[in-house]
Amino acid sequence: MRRGLISWARDEVPPSVLEGRVARLQEQMRNADLGAMLVYTSFARPSAVAWLTHFVPYWNEALLVVFPTGAPVLLAAFSKRVHDWIRSVSHLGEVRSAPDLGRAAAAFLKERPPQPSRIGVLELDALPWSVAEPLVKSEYGALVDATDLFAAIRQPADEVEIRLARRAATIAAQAFKTIPRGAKRASELLSVLERSARLDGAEEVLPRLAPDLRANATLRRFEGDALLGERYAVELSVAYKATWVRFTRCVSTQAVPSSWRSAAERFVETAERLNEANLSLGPQLGPGKPVAWTLETCRGSPPLSIVATGETPSPSALSGGSLACISLQLDLDDGAWLGGAPLILGSRGQPSCLLI
Amino acid sequence: MAEEGIDVLVVAGNPWRSDYLRFAADITPVEGHAFAFIDRERPARIIVESPAEAARLRSEQAELDVRWSLSAIEETETAIRELGKRRTAIAPLAAVPYRLAMGPLVTGIARATALLDHLMLRKSASEIEALHRAAVLADEGYAVFRKAARVGRPEYSLVAEVEAFFRSRGCPENFQILGSGGREVRGMHPPTERRLAPGDLVTTELTPCVDGYYAQICRTLVLGEPSEPQERAFAVYNEALEAGVAAVRPGATAGDVARAQNKVFRNHGLGDYVTSEYTRVRGHGLGLYVDARPAVLEDVDLKLEPDMTLIVHPNTYHPEVGYFVHGDSVRVTPDGCEVLTRTPRRLFSVPLA
Repeated sequence: MRRGLISWARDEVPPSVLEGRVARLQEQMRNADLGAMLVYTSFARPSAVAWLTHFVPYWNEALLVVFPTGAPVLLAAFSKRVHDWIRSVSHLGEVRSAPDLGRAAAAFLKERPPQPSRIGVLELDALPWSVAEPLVKSEYGALVDATDLFAAIRQPADEVEIRLARRAATIAAQAFKTIPRGAKRASELLSVLERSARLDGAEEVLPRLAPDLRANATLRRFEGDALLGERYAVELSVAYKATWVRFTRCVSTQAVPSSWRSAAERFVETAERLNEANLSLGPQLGPGKPVAWTLETCRGSPPLSIVATGETPSPSALSGGSLACISLQLDLDDGAWLGGAPLILGSRGQPSCLLI
Repeated sequence: MAEEGIDVLVVAGNPWRSDYLRFAADITPVEGHAFAFIDRERPARIIVESPAEAARLRSEQAELDVRWSLSAIEETETAIRELGKRRTAIAPLAAVPYRLAMGPLVTGIARATALLDHLMLRKSASEIEALHRAAVLADEGYAVFRKAARVGRPEYSLVAEVEAFFRSRGCPENFQILGSGGREVRGMHPPTERRLAPGDLVTTELTPCVDGYYAQICRTLVLGEPSEPQERAFAVYNEALEAGVAAVRPGATAGDVARAQNKVFRNHGLGDYVTSEYTRVRGHGLGLYVDARPAVLEDVDLKLEPDMTLIVHPNTYHPEVGYFVHGDSVRVTPDGCEVLTRTPRRLFSVPLA
C-alpha cells in the first residue's frame, strides 16, 4: 500500500499540463473513433491515471473515464468520505462513488452512452475480471484495447515529469548517502533508506537487496533480516508525485574495489551511448561480461515496464526524450557488480543523459 | 481442490491483490502480474512479468518452477491451454485478468474464488502465530508513532518514523492512514504536508504485515491536554469498542459485532454517525489482505468461527471533536475472543513542550 506523501502542488504540476495530456489523449481517441476511454488504477498500476489527473490511490481501485471532450470522470471504489481528499490531490471533472467498480462503470456508461459506441480500454487484457465482467455483459459499446493508443502519447516525457523524476532521483541519492558505513544487517540498512526517502517526501520506496554479493547477486525483497556481507547491492525504486525512478548501487564495507570504479565509469559511458536507434544493441559493456540488463520506462499503468532486456532479442521502440531506467549486472573478475540509474533517452545519434 | 474436482488451480495476483498468491504459493509479487499453477500432482509453477521478479522468487523458494515473460498473461493463457483436458480453474475474481477470463475457465471463477475465500477465513496455528507477531509490532509501531507526533511536524514525517521502525524489525509492508486537526476532519487519508498543531486530534490506523499477515491497531491522541469534549468522545468510542469486542464469539455474526458498537452510539444520541455518510465499516477481517472478509456491518450475516481474525473499530466522525478512531485486533476463540493488540485503550496525550 502507498503510505508516503501524496499531495498535489499546483506550481509543481500545473493543471494546464494535466489538461494538455488529457487533450492529447482525446485527440487520439477522436482519430480512433473511440467514444470513451477507460483507464484502470490501483496502487499496483497507478501511473496512467496519475499522469492524466495526478491521482494515485493509496489502496483500492478506481476507473477513469475519458470522453472525447470534457474533463475526466473518476469512478472510485473508495467511500464517499475520501472524495474530498481525492479532489485535493487530483485534477478531475467529477468523482463518483463506485464501491462495485465494474457495475458502477456499466451504469455510468448507460447514463452517458459513448458516441461513437466503441470504448477503448488501456491494457484491456489485464483489466481485472471483477471490473470487466459487468462491462462485457452490458450493452453499452464494444470494448477494444487502447494500449498502443495511450503509449503513443505517453513518452517522451515533458519538462514537468522530468522535474519530478529529478526530485525522485535526488531523494534516492540522498537516501544512499545515509547508509551507515558499518551497517551489519539488512534491517539496519533498509530502515535508514526508508526513513531518509520518506522524510524527503517520497510517495513510495521499494528497496531490494542482495545482502552478500559474493554469495548471490539476486536482489531480494526482505521479510525478516539477513547479515550483510562485505559487499552488497541495493536497488532503490522511489516514487515522487507518481514518477518512479530506479537506482542500483553496490556497497563495499572495505575500500571500493578498483574494478567497481572501472565498471561504474563504463556503466555511465554505456548508458550515455544509448539512444532511440540502438536499443537493440543493449549496453556494450566492458570490462566484465554483462550477465543481465534491462531498460524500463513508463508508458501505461505500471510504474516501470521493460522496453529492452538482454534476455529478449528485440526491444520495443522508445523515442528520444523518454524517461527510462537502465539496470545491469556485470560479472567481473572479482565478483558481481550491479548498477542502475534513470536517464533521458537520446534521440537518434544523440547521447542519453543520466538524470543525476 | 480434490473435493471440488479441480486438478489445477491457477491463482492470479499482483502487488495490490497478492493475498491469494501468498496463500496458495507463498509468494508476494512486488511488480507486475504473477500467476501460480497449483497442481495436485506437481510442485507449483509460477509465471511472472520480469526477469528480476523471476530471479527473486527462485532465490526465495528454490523448488519453485518460475518462468517469466513480458507477456505474462499470454504465456499463462498458453500454459492453461497446454493443460489439455485436466480439470482447471482460475481465481480470484479480483485479480483474474480479462484475457484469461474470456476463455473457457470463466464459468468457474466465482466458485474457485469462494473455495480460496473459505480456506483463508479460519487461520491455522502458524497463521495465528504470524498474526500474534504482527500485533506485537502494531503495538510497538504505535508507540513510535506517539513519540513522533509533535507540534510542527508534517504528517508524512510520522509515517517515515514508523516505516523506519518497521524496517528495523524486518517488516516490509504496512497499511497506514492518518488524520490530524479538529472538527473539520472527516476521515483519514495518506499523510499530507499538514503540520501538527496544538489541540489536534491525531488519528491513525496502523497495520504492519508479518510473514504476509496484517494486524491492525487504531488509536487517537491529542497534542496537549485533552479537552472535555475530547474526553467525552473517547468514553463513547471506548464503550463501543468494548461492546464490539464483547460481541465477538463463535456463532455471533459480523452484523452482531457491528450492532453492539452502533448501539452505544445510538444510546448516546450519535446514531447518525454510524451511517455510511460518516463511516465505512465497524471493523473487518484480517489476514493476508488488510481489509479481508468479513466486513463488520449490521447487514453481514457471516457467522464467526474460532480462529477467524478481525479488527473491531468503531471509527467514525464525532460532531464535537472530528474524526475519531479506536480499535483492536482480535482472534475468535472457542468461548469468545482474544485481543491481540495490547496498547492501552486510552486517549493519549502528547505534551506540547
